[in-house]
Amino acid sequence: MSTVEDAEGRTPRRGELSWWGRLQSNRNWLAIWFMLPAAIFLLMFLAWPLILGVWLSFTDTRLARPGKFIGFENYEWLWDDGVFWLSVFNTLLYTIVASIIKFAVGLYLALLLNRHMPFKAMIRSVVLIPFIVPTVLSAIAFWWIYDAQFSIISWSLRQMGLIEQNINFLGDGNLARASLIFANIWRGVPFVAITLLAGLQTVSPSLYEAATLDGASAWQRFRYVTYPLLTPIIAVVMTFSVLFTFTDFQLIWAMTRGGPANATHLMATLSYSRGILSGQLGEGAAIATAMIPFLLAAIMISWFGLQRRKWQHGENNE
Amino acid sequence: MSDTAVQKPTTTTHVLTADTQEGMTYLESFPRRLVTLWLPLGIIMFILLFPFYWMALTSVKPNSQLIDMNTYNPFWVVEPTLDHIKRLLFETAYPRWLWNTMYVAAASTFLSIFASVLAAYAIARLRFRGSQMIGAMIFMAYLIPPSILFIPLASVIHFYGLFDTPLALILVYPTILIPFSTWLLMGYFKTIPFELEECALIDGASRWQILTRIIVPLAVPGLISAFIFSFTLCWNEFIYALTLISSVQNRTVPVAIVSELVDGDVYRWGSLMAGALVGSLPLVILYAFFVEHYVSAMTGAVKE
Amino acid sequence: MDKKFEMNRRSLLKGSAAAATIATVGADQLLNYATAWAQASPFKPENGAKISVLRWRRFVEAEDKAFMAMVDAFQKATGVSVTVTNESFEDVQPKASVAANTGSGLDMVWGLYSLPHLFPEKCLDMSDVADYLGKKYGGWTQSAELYGKSKGKWICLPVATTGGLMNYRISAMNKAGFKEFPKDTGGFLDLVKALKKNNTPAGFALGHASGDANTWLHWALWSHGGNLVDKDDKVVINSPETAKALQYVKDLYDNFIPGTASWNDSSNNKAFVAGELYLTSNGISIYVTASRENKAIAEDTDHAYMPIGPVGRPTELHLAFPILTFNFTKAPQACKAFAAFMQEAENFNPWIEAAQGYLSHFLNAYDKNPVWTADPKRTVYRDVSKRTLTPAGLGSLGEKAAAAIADFVVVDMFANYCTGREDIKGAIAIAERQARRIYR
Repeated sequence: MSTVEDAEGRTPRRGELSWWGRLQSNRNWLAIWFMLPAAIFLLMFLAWPLILGVWLSFTDTRLARPGKFIGFENYEWLWDDGVFWLSVFNTLLYTIVASIIKFAVGLYLALLLNRHMPFKAMIRSVVLIPFIVPTVLSAIAFWWIYDAQFSIISWSLRQMGLIEQNINFLGDGNLARASLIFANIWRGVPFVAITLLAGLQTVSPSLYEAATLDGASAWQRFRYVTYPLLTPIIAVVMTFSVLFTFTDFQLIWAMTRGGPANATHLMATLSYSRGILSGQLGEGAAIATAMIPFLLAAIMISWFGLQRRKWQHGENNE
Repeated sequence: MSDTAVQKPTTTTHVLTADTQEGMTYLESFPRRLVTLWLPLGIIMFILLFPFYWMALTSVKPNSQLIDMNTYNPFWVVEPTLDHIKRLLFETAYPRWLWNTMYVAAASTFLSIFASVLAAYAIARLRFRGSQMIGAMIFMAYLIPPSILFIPLASVIHFYGLFDTPLALILVYPTILIPFSTWLLMGYFKTIPFELEECALIDGASRWQILTRIIVPLAVPGLISAFIFSFTLCWNEFIYALTLISSVQNRTVPVAIVSELVDGDVYRWGSLMAGALVGSLPLVILYAFFVEHYVSAMTGAVKE
Repeated sequence: MDKKFEMNRRSLLKGSAAAATIATVGADQLLNYATAWAQASPFKPENGAKISVLRWRRFVEAEDKAFMAMVDAFQKATGVSVTVTNESFEDVQPKASVAANTGSGLDMVWGLYSLPHLFPEKCLDMSDVADYLGKKYGGWTQSAELYGKSKGKWICLPVATTGGLMNYRISAMNKAGFKEFPKDTGGFLDLVKALKKNNTPAGFALGHASGDANTWLHWALWSHGGNLVDKDDKVVINSPETAKALQYVKDLYDNFIPGTASWNDSSNNKAFVAGELYLTSNGISIYVTASRENKAIAEDTDHAYMPIGPVGRPTELHLAFPILTFNFTKAPQACKAFAAFMQEAENFNPWIEAAQGYLSHFLNAYDKNPVWTADPKRTVYRDVSKRTLTPAGLGSLGEKAAAAIADFVVVDMFANYCTGREDIKGAIAIAERQARRIYR
């Protein structure tokens, strides 16, 4: 409703304004001005290379040699490529498992951090550490923690007499997947937690008070007060968490390079390895382009999630 | 909704946010608190911090102890050495890399947040024609991952004549920062009551004034989140920094450390981890300050 | 036994003392030489030329120092300004690719294996430099021509090779019942099995390790007569010989130290120096590190050629490092001068001495360099440039072969079978399919 009022309030004065005034006040023009800086960045440094990238996927370009248009040849090849489908499977597994756990642990941690306790500020900043350490370097640290011979985890378990041989963290396909997922979760939880914590703090205490007076249990208060109010933040954080997990590269590259025997190749690492390392740019671009539908789906889900939320929000306000 | 919040003094806030269990916190018994709060928090914190401890430990361990797990307990260090850190600080251009990283991260974060505040405000509040579309399109920015974007991007950067300058990174990083910041801020802007803005409009304030005087101050926690996110992402970025910068003196910390401290098939573990540690310290300090600020900014925002 | 150790230690000391002398006295001599060279050289750099060189990040520190001393002398003598950038050897390729693609940023790249063959059209013809050096220094090895030439032109200059040879602990080998290192693949398998039994295991990388995994697995494939492609670049990986090689490697793998499927290039170095690994394939860097950090292990370490398989001749692959010049450089003569200068005896001799056996020459005259005999344990590395095949095997070295090796086609075939993900047929079929695509 607010929009209508606003427009009506301004109508009588509109005729008197110069074109400059109109540019400043007309909502559409105003919007353009406001969008301009972001648009310039995105068009110059993203849209252009992106179009180039999609175009590449329809060519047989190799590194440093222009290719010619070959239609869907790259995609046809990938369609029958076991390694490619393995990477799709890995990517989905990696993204889904890591995102769900990141969300669950992150939310739990946020709720814990939201409680009253001594050294609150310190604990909160300390929690962010995994997010702060440069990814490549924490990946190298993890790589060492997972080392086949010098793993600290294997060592501890051996000392405790629980295992006799070192755990083959990165040498066994499934274990390698699990290890990488764990490292990804480790890196991602703090960010999810802190952002959700910020969201939690925007929830007005009076709502809890009212709910408590109505006799709501702790779970009910979370489910019917906290959770609905958090949804916009959750949607954004989780969308980004999904996107960044989906396109993760550094962690895998530093630890396994897609090995053992391609068991941990994600689409991003595969596209890099095919496109850059073996020089088949066109094919690499096709793998990257093949990620678009998945990412699009992820975005759509959260986008509509947000829309619904806004709706509810509007109703609540009325 | 906001009215009630305004009337609540800080004391209530503190009691009630602290309280997610039955009734009042101060009545909660210690054992119960131990199980519901300290134990899980302790476990999570341990897991989150252990790799960091490991890095710190490695950075002061003499080489001979690093791979000898039989004579020395790997969880501890005998005769710690500062050699790795010394080597890092005085035998490499580390201070220079640190400065580059900060400069690049600060500049591109500032640019992105500026652009994002405007864009988020336009999308969330101006409700112009096609605002939904634009919002979705900004999001599309993530559709192609940097791992493959960097070759076409490198050509584009060459075309602009920015290759091997810090400016290349400063201008490229916003493409990964703006979409997130914009969306995050849209979320925050939406939680600010429309009434505030309407009152200001009736009082004759321009949109710009509304944005800078009302919306932005109220969205400080969101801005901090966006800042934390953006700054860290710049700090960590690897692929663009690797390909768009070629000279040693323009490198950023992650790239420089990896390329300078790995000798073929020999990793200089101590210095690598020292580099990670020293590289993270400025951020830890910065964040320690901000997380504090975060909380107070929050109460401030509620009070107004 | 004691005597032998004593001797080794002495020669070791002598070797490092020699390297130290070169480092201190060398600088002035080098400059004098460089000045004279600049006068006489057929390659006259452009006035005020500036070139930027990207090289792989050194494996041995002293080698880098010697290289930079040479760069310094070259700059002072010729007035060319040379910027050297180091990149870890696996990151050289993406950077070189960007430069090749955009046509600027770098003038010369000193990279791995077949890098120049990824973009032969972008490489400056270096035939005159190659001829000049070849005539002066006893000719190029056969492998140098394979690495250097594309369609009859030298598109790069092979500079050196890092050998991937057997590194073993003498005592463990003796205990396993071998007086000397086995010369054939059968004996080698017995050794690996015996080592496993004695709890002094062997281990060879099966992960995506550009250096270690590629070198020893190609050896295993070729030694049994398997090949990815034949001499006409037709894919022939699907053969009984390949199956035999797979089975052989699987037998080895079952007797390795656990975890080799996750190994990258640095894993075996670490495990060997820590005394957990007793046999592996590597360059000389393990020995160099051990001499510095764990003398006892260094004294007990020796090197050997890769054993010879059923095909009856050496089938080794080593890491070659060719240097290329982009054809878009603004100072082609300066680049040529630099490339020639690098391999002149007065530079090259002290340089490979400083590398302590890590870099092996492609020019025959350098066989005489004392680095190869000062410490007998280094001697086998002298010949790696002569013994190495190219990553293409029988086929022609070009962008296809470069793509196949970068894509780990052969490595993954072995890893797929050894880790039990695929049976022999499946592993070969996957590799065949990938290879056909690359070689279409």
